[in-house]
Amino acid sequence: MSKGAKGTKVIDGLYYTKEHEWAKVQGDMVIVGITDYAQNALHEITFVEIKEPGTDVTAGEECGLVESMKASSDVFSPVSGQIAEVNTALDDAPEIVNQDPYGKGWMCKIKCSNPKQDLKKLMDSKAYSAFIVSK
Amino acid sequence: MPVRYTDIREEHMAVREAVGIFDTTHMSRFFVSGPQVVDFLQTLTTNNVAKLGLNEGHYATCLNEKGGIHDDLMIYRIGEMEFIWITNASNGPKIKSHLIANAKRFKVVVEDRSKDVVMIAVQGPNALELLSKMAGLDARALPRFSCNSVKLAGHDCYLCRTGYTGEEGGEVLLLNTPFNDAGKKKAIAFWEEILKQGKDFGVKPCGLGARDSTRLEAGLVLYGHELDENTTPLEARISYAVKFKVAPHYIGYDALSKQKEAGVTKTRIGLVMVDKGIPREQYPVLINGEKIGMVTSGGMSPVLDCGIAMAYVKPESAKEGDTVEIDIKGRVRKAKVTGWPFYDPQKYGENRAR
Repeated sequence: MSKGAKGTKVIDGLYYTKEHEWAKVQGDMVIVGITDYAQNALHEITFVEIKEPGTDVTAGEECGLVESMKASSDVFSPVSGQIAEVNTALDDAPEIVNQDPYGKGWMCKIKCSNPKQDLKKLMDSKAYSAFIVSK
Repeated sequence: MPVRYTDIREEHMAVREAVGIFDTTHMSRFFVSGPQVVDFLQTLTTNNVAKLGLNEGHYATCLNEKGGIHDDLMIYRIGEMEFIWITNASNGPKIKSHLIANAKRFKVVVEDRSKDVVMIAVQGPNALELLSKMAGLDARALPRFSCNSVKLAGHDCYLCRTGYTGEEGGEVLLLNTPFNDAGKKKAIAFWEEILKQGKDFGVKPCGLGARDSTRLEAGLVLYGHELDENTTPLEARISYAVKFKVAPHYIGYDALSKQKEAGVTKTRIGLVMVDKGIPREQYPVLINGEKIGMVTSGGMSPVLDCGIAMAYVKPESAKEGDTVEIDIKGRVRKAKVTGWPFYDPQKYGENRAR
């Protein structure tokens, strides 16, 4: 139904939350960002703030904030672990998230002891595509 | 009105640097007339109604008995005994009931013409040129807050020299445009005509996002945020909407007079972020870790390129130039107390240097 769902990209091989974050496994790290659907809905992102490296985060709990011209939106961690790295390029150019949400617009890397267990609870690309169409 | 037609920031800057148009038809418009209309309106509103000459308007508030705000509104005098009352969309039904209930005591007729009149705000440094071109007259010669019957693109309109962005411009009431297929067609054609005639002036259609960001940057209050039934115009620091030498006294007059003597228990301030972060409604405002108030509106200022906000704090707890903190979801960030408008009035807004 939502116009946003149409034409917004969903990438195979990533894991997705109901809050529109994506997670990608890279060794013992999980890279986290927000989906194309999310950046499209927020539009004009003006500010991204993820908790500092070293902060422990819990799956499903807030780990940062995305501000757009329209609204403020929490970022929820898809997995439990410790923030290892934050994408500092977004400090000066948050619009990168609008331009490349699955690539240069990544938000943080989380060191995760048991990623498989957390990721199992998330959606795959097929389930997420169906989820955003139903919104 | 959609949140945005293109980008909020782009639409916002069109209003600041060229001209933007907003469809504000969702607001409520009441035509009030009759031999006792002045006393009726004076009973319900806080500005001096008798002082309004023909084709003049002003900003006012409508209070409850306790001095809290039912709504803020514009009143225009369009006849010796006829006025237009323009009120917030969200308060339309409440105000209508209030008007009708009080009208019983006066020789007045209250007519809800919200669904018969389309309203379009034309705002920005090029707005008056555009309106002049469409009306075939010098809109700049019309005084601020005036309301004149004019023909725009051949249609009967009232052109009000008012707005809600801090910029020059007008609010157009397109008359005889009912809420049906024919009216819709007329309204759309009129909207398209403004865009067509405004092309050389850099006109852009603007949505709710830019309406909120422009009014916030100008430091203008919004009902449901800075104003509500528990907030008085003195606390909101919109004393220009309030007069005390009026007769008859309006509803809420006694409570307000008392507060004027005794002093307020909260006051509105402006905030500009020093640290990173965007202040939003309901975020606590602190000073040395102690809560002094709460943000009522906040967002990104495209002109300043940082977060700005309006907040209510305890009186005397913070003065202009002071540094306070805003609790942004657990992150305590510094902000500076300021006045408004938030932009440099030499560079932006209706009083800019020309």
